[in-house]
Amino acid sequence: MQRPLLIITLHPPTPLFKLTAMISVADLLTNNRVPGNYFAADTYVRGDLELGILENRRGDRLIAIPETLIQGIYSGLDKETGQASRLVLFNCGKWWGKTFYTRFREELTDYYGVALAEMPMLELLQSLQQCWLTYGWGKLDLDHSLHSHGFLLIKTWESPFAALAPKNEVPYCFLEAGIFASFFSQLTGRELHCVQTTCESMAADCNRFLLGLSQRLKPAEAMVEQRLDHDAIVQRLCA
Amino acid sequence: MQPQLEQLFDEAEKRYLKPEELQTLNQYVGSLPARIDAYRALRDRELEVMQVVADQLQAALPNESVENIERSIKNALLVLRYCAMGMLLNDEAFAVEKLRGWLTQKIQVFQTQMIDQTLYHLLEQRLDTTMTPQQKSLLSPHLQQAKQILLPMSASV
Repeated sequence: MQRPLLIITLHPPTPLFKLTAMISVADLLTNNRVPGNYFAADTYVRGDLELGILENRRGDRLIAIPETLIQGIYSGLDKETGQASRLVLFNCGKWWGKTFYTRFREELTDYYGVALAEMPMLELLQSLQQCWLTYGWGKLDLDHSLHSHGFLLIKTWESPFAALAPKNEVPYCFLEAGIFASFFSQLTGRELHCVQTTCESMAADCNRFLLGLSQRLKPAEAMVEQRLDHDAIVQRLCA
Repeated sequence: MQPQLEQLFDEAEKRYLKPEELQTLNQYVGSLPARIDAYRALRDRELEVMQVVADQLQAALPNESVENIERSIKNALLVLRYCAMGMLLNDEAFAVEKLRGWLTQKIQVFQTQMIDQTLYHLLEQRLDTTMTPQQKSLLSPHLQQAKQILLPMSASV
């Protein structure tokens, strides 16, 4: 890489010598590219009607699932496994999240030419939000207000998994909770757990997911079962 | 391509195009040489234009970090490329669709509005001297639209 030029200005008030790195626009371009929004919906999803396939911009295959299939999975699982269906969904989500992370990392690394670990956190988050949106999973945002207590709060809106959930008395996005748990475990290299505390399927304003170290977050599961609300759960966890 | 044009091709089996629809097509095709000309002017002088803007920007904002200025320049390169393509396609929504949400959020998060405002002002000035009035008039609507969504505050002033 070319070193930035240094110029010395000789007429400053203070300090006496000011070093300014001049910006070279040519150096800002990598292979004459300016990477844009990788997950932009109009360029990310493509289809080949003749072959009958839907793919992403790298040519990886995508499939679209009808809403009735998600409903069918929910009701089929409930019928066959009852209460255990929540755990099944959570584990399916964990499995899904693991491969989702691998693909997400590959795609971003290929496109932006930077390793995920070296990507600024804000840009990584933005990519995740765009990806979530383009995949049709709704809007996503991270809330760092519980950071000092060792928890991360994830909020999602317009989730299809909540919209199609059966009537229930507990939050039902176990699939998403599983995805978050394994995605962020992979990202941080630590074993993280995820518990949903509010759900759009129960008329909440958004879906809230608490993410944290497994042993610290475990008690939250029982609190959700006891129908404690989000604030009460956070208060007890952070007490 | 302009959505209006795209629709023209959607109903081939239903009917032949009306004279006014053919006129729309004619207008687009007729304007194409000028669009390609303006596109070339931008493409060939992208670096030169942006380098001048970058130098002026650094001089105008000596206290801004190089990192922030570089980020804004990079974003502007992208904006200009999208606008150039939008101009070629005669689709004012092209650049806006690509930038909305994503780049608008980035500008808010990094709070580079002040830099960007100065940057686009300098960029306009520079383009006025490097492009002919006709070329500039083809690009302008696209750039204005992009500016409006990226820096909504300044557009209302």
